[in-house]
Amino acid sequence: MTDFAIQFDKVCKAYDDLDVLTDLDFAVRKGEVVTIMGPSGSGKTTVLRVLMTLEEIQDGVILVQDEPLNKMYKNGDLVDADKAHVRKIRSKIGMVFQNFNLFPHMTALGNCIEAPMYTKGLSKQEASEEAMKLLAMVGLADKANQYPSQLSGGQQQRVAIARSLCMHPEILLFDEPTSALDPEMVGEVLKVIRDLADSGRYTILLVTHQMGFAKEVSDRVCFIDGGKIVEENIPSEIFENPKTERLQQFLSKVLEAR
Amino acid sequence: MDWRWDFTFEVVMPRMIEAAGVTAWATVASFCLALVGGLILMLLKQHRSVWISRPTTEFIEFIRATPLLVQIFFLFFLLPDFGITLPPLTTGILAIAIYNSALCAEVYRAGFEAVPRGQWEACVALNISTYRTFRDIIIPQSLPPIIPALGNYFVAIFKETPLLSFVAVAEIMQISKLIGAEYYRFTEAVTIAGIFFLVMSLIAAFMIRQVENFVKHRIVR
Amino acid sequence: MKPRIAILAALGAFIVGLSVATFAELKLFLPPILRGAVVTLQISFWSWLLFVSLSCIAGLGRWQRNLLVRWTATVYIEVFRGTSLLVILFWLFFVLPEFGIIMSPFVAGVLGVGLNFGAYGAEVVRGALTAVPKGQREAAIALNIKPRNFVVRILFPQAIAIMVPGMVNLTIEMIKATALVSAITLVDITYASVQQNQLYFRTLEIFTIALLLYYCFAQFVRFGGAALEEYFTRHLAKRR
Ligand SMILES: Nc1ncnc2c1ncn2[C@@H]1O[C@H](COP(=O)(O)OP(=O)(O)OP(=O)(O)O)[C@@H](O)[C@H]1O
Ligand SMILES: [Mg+2]
Repeated sequence: MTDFAIQFDKVCKAYDDLDVLTDLDFAVRKGEVVTIMGPSGSGKTTVLRVLMTLEEIQDGVILVQDEPLNKMYKNGDLVDADKAHVRKIRSKIGMVFQNFNLFPHMTALGNCIEAPMYTKGLSKQEASEEAMKLLAMVGLADKANQYPSQLSGGQQQRVAIARSLCMHPEILLFDEPTSALDPEMVGEVLKVIRDLADSGRYTILLVTHQMGFAKEVSDRVCFIDGGKIVEENIPSEIFENPKTERLQQFLSKVLEAR
Repeated sequence: MDWRWDFTFEVVMPRMIEAAGVTAWATVASFCLALVGGLILMLLKQHRSVWISRPTTEFIEFIRATPLLVQIFFLFFLLPDFGITLPPLTTGILAIAIYNSALCAEVYRAGFEAVPRGQWEACVALNISTYRTFRDIIIPQSLPPIIPALGNYFVAIFKETPLLSFVAVAEIMQISKLIGAEYYRFTEAVTIAGIFFLVMSLIAAFMIRQVENFVKHRIVR
Repeated sequence: MKPRIAILAALGAFIVGLSVATFAELKLFLPPILRGAVVTLQISFWSWLLFVSLSCIAGLGRWQRNLLVRWTATVYIEVFRGTSLLVILFWLFFVLPEFGIIMSPFVAGVLGVGLNFGAYGAEVVRGALTAVPKGQREAAIALNIKPRNFVVRILFPQAIAIMVPGMVNLTIEMIKATALVSAITLVDITYASVQQNQLYFRTLEIFTIALLLYYCFAQFVRFGGAALEEYFTRHLAKRR
């Protein structure tokens, strides 16, 4: 048993003939908060989607808490994972999407209790009690009975965070959680993520363009380009003392845009 | 019961081919009339005076909400009451044309409304004449939605022509019915009629898709 | 609301038409036409059930990954959309008996109309299924929701809201299309009108009544459809 939550070993991912991840090696320790940065199209989203089993990989191994994600051991042999195995691994991971992906025909509470009720088999009451606690934690207890269309973007994203927490994941994936939001709503979502990071209960993998926030919450920052990790280090080193030329270019461009 | 090829080729096919001509003529004639009728109805509907636009709207609604078959019967029995005696085929073509004019009017309207207001305003700002605005700006932009929709109505009209058999027009359905009644066997005639419609509509659907692509790429680049 | 005005107008016109026609042989020809209306409604009801179920089955089939299922659905849709309803009715009623399959006119009528419109409806259903954003499925996977629950609880409720307008239109088209069952000896509104016309030669009154009956049915469906649409999209109520 290692203390790694996630390990990528020579992972390759291609869309048709476009190579997105090429021999990616990458690991995250339990409880660590890691930010992934990189230019557009560099494969940041792909890393998260592959972990969430939304995409299949062509080559390599991904380990989630030392268990292979797309393979499993059966009578000592490594074979392709069956549904039960995938579901088991998946239950350890929660994901928050850039555009929330709330279920529009269900209330905030309905969104939160759907999976606990129909996947875990909790009773409606149990699920609701727990969901209300989490909605309160993200500051939306009073919006529980509103439909997503009645909520602001920031509120919707907070509901989405509460919804994924309801399944008790140990690993949280955030894909640009604030980039679809109006500027004045970014803060409220970042505050929730900061609380989650500070609680130390979750391993967090965060893709964001909010440099200040990344610097503040993450234990480590990975700069990814061309499907490979180009540079990784503690935030202060990455931002103040970038070693590779590509990272320097990237940072200067991002800072220029400010 | 079995399928008899000799019967198919010696009796059914010759008469069917003749009937296919009637079907084709009915389709093309109704379609052309409907294209013009639709344009007229649309213009009437957009007329400034409520006394013209409102009744037209209701007329279109009414035509669209009632069965074509009843409209065919209505015209077929009613026109002679007014002293107008037309051959059944002409009456039928007229009924199909009126019915589809109401549908085409909506297609035209939707097509023109799909052009953003800003286009009109830009033309006014650039001082382009109304005629030029229509010819160069509005019509080219409204064609991509209009043309495939009209194509679909062409196919729909084709599939509506069997209704003419109700008033004894010698088109395909009527002929297969007659053959069935004469020889006491329906299998070949009705099946061939079905295959005829299926093949023709599949071909038409394919052609509409080609035209659609062509219009998309050629007119709006 | 527009449909409500239309219904009132239609009913009003209907009553006026009736009172005018009372001076004619109304008492003689109205009852048979109304009996025809009952037949039209019965055919419409049963064909509607068949049409909606077939739409859902074939629509889901076309949307499936399994090639065999998808091809079966595609062939069904293309065949029954491509041929004319009248041909289908003839085939069911005149040809099948030659192969030993005999149906009552009513069954043949329901089957023909249902099969024909099921093929059109399948395209509406498939369109609605593909119109539900991809992110919904991804969110369901991320929450470990089982595929079956995803389809039943997340995909379908959203797809239904999208397909209601299309299905309402098809329902109106279907009611109009039931007029064709008069070709297979069923005495519906249309056939009853033709019969009464041959007896009394009151073309104007008889066919006006027939048309107005169909018009009323269409307006009721449209009105009901608007209410249904409102119900299914209530969650989309905008803020403020
Ligand atoms: N479904 C797909 N099919 C084909 N190519 C895809 C698909 N999804 C992503 N790609 C391609 O893969 C590459 C990496 O995409 P990815 O979404 O991971 O980038 P990203 O780093 O998240 O970029 P951004 O900052 O813009 O979100 C891009 O070139 C993209 O065009
Ligand atoms: Mg991305």
